Amino acid sequence: MFHELNPFIGQLYFWLFAGAAVLCGAGLASSRHPLYGAINLIGVMLSLAGLYAILDQPFLGVVQVLTYAGAIMMLVVFVIMVLNQAVDRAVAPMDRLAVVMGLVPLSLLATLVMVLRAGPAVVDTGAVRGSPKPIAQELFDLTAAGPGYYILFELIGVILLVAIVGAIALAKRRLGRSAPAAPAAEDTHAH
Amino acid sequence: MPIDPIDVQILAAVLFSLGLATVLTRRNLFLLLMGIELMLNAVNLSIVGFSRTLPGDASVTGAILPLFTIAIAAAEACIGLAMVIAITRVKDSVDADSFATMKE
Repeated sequence: MFHELNPFIGQLYFWLFAGAAVLCGAGLASSRHPLYGAINLIGVMLSLAGLYAILDQPFLGVVQVLTYAGAIMMLVVFVIMVLNQAVDRAVAPMDRLAVVMGLVPLSLLATLVMVLRAGPAVVDTGAVRGSPKPIAQELFDLTAAGPGYYILFELIGVILLVAIVGAIALAKRRLGRSAPAAPAAEDTHAH
Repeated sequence: MPIDPIDVQILAAVLFSLGLATVLTRRNLFLLLMGIELMLNAVNLSIVGFSRTLPGDASVTGAILPLFTIAIAAAEACIGLAMVIAITRVKDSVDADSFATMKE
C-alpha cells in the first residue's frame, strides 16, 4: 500500500488533494459563470482521482479521470459553450432566499461531523487493493453463489442505451416526418 | 500511520454539503446539474473510504459500487443536458426561476 511505504508522503498527498477538492468545490458553489463552475468541478474530479489512488483504489482513479473528468465534463462544457451563444444574460447568483437555504447544507455538515466523530472506524488489514484483477474477478463472477454483479453490469448497458435514445429524442427538434417548414431564423439560437 | 477513515468521511461530507449548497443557492441550470454531480462524487468518495474498513472480498465491493454510480451519473448528465437544451429552446433562458410555470 502506498501510504505504508512512506506514511508522511501519503498523509501529505491526502491533505493536498483534500484541500484542492474543497477549494474547487467552494469555487463551484460561488462561480459567476457556469464555465468557471465547470473548470472548478473538473478540479474536484481530478483531486478525487488522486484521493482514490491514495485510498488503495487506483483503478477507480483511472476510471474517474477517463469518465468523469474526460467524458462527462467534456459534454457539460460543450453544451455550455453551444448554448452560450444564445443565452448570455446574467443570472442572479444569490438572493436572500439563497442565504437562508445555505444554512441547510451547513447544518447537515455539522450533524454529519458530530456523528462521524463519535464512531471510530479502523482500516482493515485484510482490505484488498482495488487493482483491475480482483475487481474483474468479483464483477464477472458468474457462479450461482457469486454476488451477481454481472446482472447489474448488463442492466447498466441497457440504461446507457436508453439514455442515449432519450437524449436524442429530447434534444432533436423534430422526430420522424418533417413538420411544416420551420423558419430559418430558429437555427441561430438553438442547436 | 495510515489515513484515518473518519477524515475521508468528513471530507466526503464537506464535498456533499458544497454540492447541496450549489443546488440550493444557485439559479443557473448548468450549476444545478454540476452541484448534483459534485454530490454523486462525494458519495463515491464515501464508499471508497468505507471499503478500506472491510476485510477481503467485501472491500472489493467498494470498488465496484462506484463504477455503477459513475455509469449512472453519465446517463444522468446525458439526459439532464438534453433536457436543458430542450428547455432552452422553449424559453431561451437557463434561469431555473423562469420555469416556475406550474406555480402560476
